[in-house]
Amino acid sequence: MIVNPVIGREITERLRGLRAFIALSAFVLVLTLTAFLVYEAAGVNADAFDLAARTRVGRQVFESVILIMTVLVLFFVPGIAAGAIAGERERQTLATLQVTMLRPRSILSGKVVATVAYLGLLVVAAMPVLAVAYLLGGIRVVDIVRGLAAVLLVALLLATMVVAISAFAKRVQTATVLAYAFTVLLVIAGPLGFGVGALLDARSDDVGDRVAAPAVLLTVNPIVLVSDIGAGTTDSGGGPLSAVRDGVDEAKEANDDSWVALFPNAPDQGFDNDPLGRPRTGLPAWLLSTLSLAGLAALLFWGAARRLRAPAEVER
Amino acid sequence: MTAVSTVAQEVAGAGAELGPAVVVSGLTKRYDDVFAVQDVDFTVPRGSAFGLIGPNGAGKSTTFLVLASLLTPTAGRVVVAGADPAVDAPAVRARVGYMPDVMGVYDNLRVDEYLQFFAAAFRLPRASWPGLVDGLLELVDLTVKRQALVSSLSRGMKQRLSLARALIHDPEVLILDEPASGLDPRARVELRELLAQLHGLGKTIIVSSHILAELEEMCTDVAIMEAGRLLAAGPPQRILEELGRTRTVRVRFADGADATFPVADDTAQAALLRQLVVDDGRDVVEFTEEHHGLEQLFLSITEGIVQ
Repeated sequence: MIVNPVIGREITERLRGLRAFIALSAFVLVLTLTAFLVYEAAGVNADAFDLAARTRVGRQVFESVILIMTVLVLFFVPGIAAGAIAGERERQTLATLQVTMLRPRSILSGKVVATVAYLGLLVVAAMPVLAVAYLLGGIRVVDIVRGLAAVLLVALLLATMVVAISAFAKRVQTATVLAYAFTVLLVIAGPLGFGVGALLDARSDDVGDRVAAPAVLLTVNPIVLVSDIGAGTTDSGGGPLSAVRDGVDEAKEANDDSWVALFPNAPDQGFDNDPLGRPRTGLPAWLLSTLSLAGLAALLFWGAARRLRAPAEVER
Repeated sequence: MTAVSTVAQEVAGAGAELGPAVVVSGLTKRYDDVFAVQDVDFTVPRGSAFGLIGPNGAGKSTTFLVLASLLTPTAGRVVVAGADPAVDAPAVRARVGYMPDVMGVYDNLRVDEYLQFFAAAFRLPRASWPGLVDGLLELVDLTVKRQALVSSLSRGMKQRLSLARALIHDPEVLILDEPASGLDPRARVELRELLAQLHGLGKTIIVSSHILAELEEMCTDVAIMEAGRLLAAGPPQRILEELGRTRTVRVRFADGADATFPVADDTAQAALLRQLVVDDGRDVVEFTEEHHGLEQLFLSITEGIVQ
């Protein structure tokens, strides 16, 4: 089996630097602090013999840790991956890489996989924090697996986008600024678009003209993706992920239980992971989220591969 | 017969034992209104050491980028080791070792890891890596630095490592853009010796440099470029003859007088000496062939145009 050599080189270089260990420590520290603060805020009030209350604390710790882990991933990925191609260009190693037998998509995918592998290491290092939530109760092993899978899926999609953005920048600094701006936009654009739509709707005088803001806008968002997968399947109270998921559900209900008000009453796709057994129609939010983000990532990746095909053309 | 059809014929022949290593025909590269390279033709014989000479902005690096499959020509055609870089870049990359004018290396890798990475990037069998890395490190005299981080190497060492990188897949043709740039005199001499060694191993070496004396010692053929155009190409001696620069001999006599005589070849040179000493009975104290070096050739052809 031929393993993409870019992966090994990237990981070797990354782990040899001091920054990797500082980032790893910061990642685990922030998550530990999150678990501690949520436990302190919710746990101390819970009666030691009230198991239902204890499980609610476990659920809150779990959802808070997964949410903060997602936010950390959104913060770390631009920092790690923005220099993927721009860095090669800046240290003048890109040409030597491109006269090898590696194709542009191999170079790009190697960078993406190396970024995700490093984030995977961070996530694994944070497992003991999730184990605390598990011991408190209220979550199952499958919830942890789903939560971590969602975080890594977001890491993969965002890393693909950021590595691709890096191919369009000449300097690491430019790529970093672009990557962070893009990530912020990715997080706020959907809710902002939905909010503007809702505001315009509310200001419309003629009730007949009112069309509820399309809830589908909310799904183009990595946090919604993680929330919909990671909010869990047990009825053990809720945390921030459940709140996000419920918010998206409410927006959809305002669209006549469809994602877009213009096409109400979408057929039931048979997907049902609501703990209270409420019917959910249409495609699930996490799938719409994954499809939209994957589409965006694929488009950027294609553009980046095209740009790298004849590198000297764009180096002037 | 058109230039392209001529090239097409040479493509078929280029892979043969005695075919040219590189054929450049009508090469033009234009950026907006600026012609970086304009209608350039030259041929690099297989196994030769070919020097591409020209001032800054002459189009040397652009030509090298096209040869290395990193730039698509606006017009014209190029055949490198039997393949057209614009049509079959992977074939060219498999047969060409390219060292750019700006040296970039992965500082956080060890020297052996650096070479292993490129061995993998050229899809060489893993079993061959240890022997390959050992051999190349010995060739570039970096065996003692095998476990050192690339960041700890001197500039000259990094340049030699870069050369080892370009050689990792045993290319037929080596394209070296200003390989001696920024090196101290000792490192330059070492690099020159290394290139001579590689030439001795039968590699076709295409090299550019501002240090013409270095190219003169090493190159069997040269091409002189200025402002994107080719001014002359071929063996230096032939270019001189085409320019009408015949061989001259400077003679100094015992009475202090000196004179310069044009001579056609070695026979004429010997006849002149015999005539002066035997026939004319002059006391000759110095009889020297004047050397028309590459530098002189370069200065007499170029006009100092900068674009």
